[in-house]
Amino acid sequence: MIESALAGLLLVLQWKALAFMGLGILLGFWVGLLPGLGGVTTLALMLPFIYAMKPHEAMAFLLGMHSVVATTGDITSVLFGIPGESTTAAIILDGHSMAKKGEAGRALGAALSSSLLGALVGAAALALAIPVVRPLVLAFGSPELFMLAIVGLAFIASLSGQGARGMVRGFIAGGLGLLLATVGQDPQAGVARFTFGTLYLWQGLDIVAVLVGLFAVPEILDLVVRGSSIAGDTRVGQVRKGVLEGVKDTFQHFGLAIRCSLIGTFIGITPGLGGPVAQWMAYGHAVQSARTPEERKGFGRGDVRGVIGPGAASNSKEGGSLIPTIAFGVPGSASMAVILGGFFLMGLVPGPDMLTKNLPITYSMVWTIVLANIITVIACLIFLNRLASLTNVPGELLVPVILVLIFIGAYTANNQYGDLVVMLLCGGIGWLMVVAGWPRAPFVLGLVLGKIAENYLYISVARYHASWLARPIVLVLFAIAVVVICYPIWQARRTRRRGHA
Amino acid sequence: MRIRFALVTALALLALVGCNRQSQAPYFEGKTITIVVGYKPGGGYDSVARLLSRYLPKYIPGTPTVIVQNMPGANSLIAANYVYAQAKPDGLTIGTFNRNLPIGQLLKVEGVKFDMLKFAWIGSAASETTVLAIRDDLPYKTFDDMRKAKEPIIVGATGPGANTYDFPLLLKEFLGVNLKLVSGYSSSADIMLAVERKEADARAGSYSSIAPFIERKLVHPVIRSRASEPEIANLPSDESLAPNPRAKAMMALRSAPEVVGRPYVMPPGTPDNLVNILRDAFVKSLADKDLLAEAKKADLTLNYVNGDQALEVMKEVLNQPNDIVAEFRKYVKFGE
Amino acid sequence: MHNKASLALGVVVMLVSAWGVISAWGWPAKAALFPLVICVPLFFLAGAEVLWSLFGAAAHSASDFKLSDHLPQSVALRRTAVAVAWILGFFFGILLLGFLLAVPVFVLAYLRIQGKRGWVFSAVFTAVVWSCFFGLFDLLLHLPFPPGWIPSLFGVR
Repeated sequence: MIESALAGLLLVLQWKALAFMGLGILLGFWVGLLPGLGGVTTLALMLPFIYAMKPHEAMAFLLGMHSVVATTGDITSVLFGIPGESTTAAIILDGHSMAKKGEAGRALGAALSSSLLGALVGAAALALAIPVVRPLVLAFGSPELFMLAIVGLAFIASLSGQGARGMVRGFIAGGLGLLLATVGQDPQAGVARFTFGTLYLWQGLDIVAVLVGLFAVPEILDLVVRGSSIAGDTRVGQVRKGVLEGVKDTFQHFGLAIRCSLIGTFIGITPGLGGPVAQWMAYGHAVQSARTPEERKGFGRGDVRGVIGPGAASNSKEGGSLIPTIAFGVPGSASMAVILGGFFLMGLVPGPDMLTKNLPITYSMVWTIVLANIITVIACLIFLNRLASLTNVPGELLVPVILVLIFIGAYTANNQYGDLVVMLLCGGIGWLMVVAGWPRAPFVLGLVLGKIAENYLYISVARYHASWLARPIVLVLFAIAVVVICYPIWQARRTRRRGHA
Repeated sequence: MRIRFALVTALALLALVGCNRQSQAPYFEGKTITIVVGYKPGGGYDSVARLLSRYLPKYIPGTPTVIVQNMPGANSLIAANYVYAQAKPDGLTIGTFNRNLPIGQLLKVEGVKFDMLKFAWIGSAASETTVLAIRDDLPYKTFDDMRKAKEPIIVGATGPGANTYDFPLLLKEFLGVNLKLVSGYSSSADIMLAVERKEADARAGSYSSIAPFIERKLVHPVIRSRASEPEIANLPSDESLAPNPRAKAMMALRSAPEVVGRPYVMPPGTPDNLVNILRDAFVKSLADKDLLAEAKKADLTLNYVNGDQALEVMKEVLNQPNDIVAEFRKYVKFGE
Repeated sequence: MHNKASLALGVVVMLVSAWGVISAWGWPAKAALFPLVICVPLFFLAGAEVLWSLFGAAAHSASDFKLSDHLPQSVALRRTAVAVAWILGFFFGILLLGFLLAVPVFVLAYLRIQGKRGWVFSAVFTAVVWSCFFGLFDLLLHLPFPPGWIPSLFGVR
């Protein structure tokens, strides 16, 4: 195994491969940064160009680009409150709040360092898991995936507000998300559900349009109302110091960062859960790490842990999702599906071969992820001053540019005007939710996990009738879900008791 | 007087030269042809379109640029409607979409605003065959073995309308084999994973997508649909085992569109000479050695089915008698 | 404001979930199960929230960001309405003029009217923004931007 690892490293360290990786990084940097360009579309556009490259060069290019997108997507989310990618929305809640308080440098530092940490953990997981990958993925059948979706939904409890009324609102938001997830043609009976007779809604709501509307529109409205720059009256002074502080934060909360990286990797490994889930579960876990209800209230207002968690998870997920793609040919996310296309083009067949005969190529992928992320972080740190000072640009200049970007972004996801309508409607809902004090995170969780929960439940019941409930992993996951739901309740009771005593 | 005469002659000469240049320059020179794909990037239809987009310019006089635009939604109904009604019939738009669209038209699915017979047909870039493949370690080696099975055989599927679902459904209904359809998997790759996990026993799908797994000896095919490839020619076809003409008609109707596996059309009313240029370009591109080599690497099997033949298949599907359609509707919904 | 918005949202959710139940009633069992399981509790939960916002005390805000609250409410509402008008205006501009025309028109208008910038600055800024975006999205990536209703009346494709 060590020889393969070294062989993989040598493959990456060749001039041409490095050059292509650099090119990929350069492209990925902008793709992640600009909300209008989805990582997936651009990957697909790049596929034709890799025909001329050798397998490890093409991999360096594709993966270099892909690894970087999650990191720079975080930057846009933090600075502008707009999801740069659908996988970087959770970081907006705390990251952008920090930017509004003038702590953009610190937020970016935390985001970048946790992102790098996440990438390293994900890559390490990929490398270490190679011997056990096949049995690991094979052990996760539909019942386990259903229970995993339930665990994800359980995080709604943590992400809700305080008290009984807070919980109710959280579950309403979650329920609304679940309901919206059912829009479209259902895979059991083929009924077109809630489509209002339009063709546009047949395949369900597009997550990009929803996320962009839900988060970006209220932010823009607020920016216009404030009439100032994003950072308001606080000057974004001494960004570099802020960045270092952010990096220190990541190490101060090292345990959290590692745990969230592991969550992200794990979600990446389980095919079928999809990209956006990881960041929200990590965010939910970060919220749980608050020791008192007062601390919990700080989340969403600029708690750096709300940056570290999603930052780590969204990047570690990428390394994790390579695993089912390489070992089984089952893409762990939409972007992996495109990379899979790249595999075929290069004559690589995913499957046991990749873990035996072609092991050096698999390792070269691991190294690519590591190197690409390190290079990106260094590049970002160099430009961070300029990037953070964007939060001092007057609002009237930013607003039109941001609006143009989000409209183009929502439209070009599917080339449908319908997406613009969805974006605007979700913008309205998002704004109302913020005004009313309702949490938006549970809504996103419900939307993202709804289809998965429904489909895997039906498959589990059809296949195993009731016996799947007794499977060991299912039971473990159920226990985790119960713990996740009860933890905030137990925590609140404990503080109350302490207060009385 | 002389000046005026000179001017007029000069102008006339210029006009002549201009005209000449016009008629000599190929129509497509300096233009961009757009292939509208009814699916998101990364899928089969999209990959074929992108592959073609790089080779077609070589074989079209004037070497135009060919680009791909994705217009996903409603199983490519949206793209089809667009190419039918909104794109201009000037030879600069090509559409490629779901091979099952004629079924959608036949079943009068709401939202169908096109008529497959009125498109200007270029042809198809591939023919598909659907097979049912079962996991190698199961005791059934042939379809006959399966028919005698006492335990239900679990077939994973994505949802109604896809061949993963429809093909086994008809087998179960008409050939009396004990299949249990479990649907809801998000993609055919997920079904394959479920087969490896022993959660599902079998999977239906296009032969080209299952072939790599047959090579790996994970699954083996037991029965196929109408069209055939050399490797599976000796498998029984579903129609050949049909117990009565009604059953056979159902299966035939389901498989008919597969011959036109990757349909390529232009908007109705596109001038014939332009269509012929494109048809010619397709024939040559799909015979191009480099394209075929790339297709092989990408696991795409391509072969040209010409436009007239494709149109015949469309007619066959769309001219079914009403009672057959009514019966078909009970089993097959429009989908992927 | 808090409570009013909460009340409005609660009522909306109740209506939506009720409509969900009504729509799902006629569907085959498998298609209807999840929507029903979601909508029925949702209806009652939303009902609870509506009652709470009518009769209960103000609730704690959720772990999400709050909009700036240092301005008097009437000013904030007015400015929000203005912002909404701009956004909707841009949207209809895109429908009428198509992306290629609507983008520069919008950016210019916003800078001039809302931003109160001079002609020169606005024109230059607009030109830079427009060329960046269309260089990238149109020329380089060939993403399709349809012409909008008015240009297509003139036969532009």
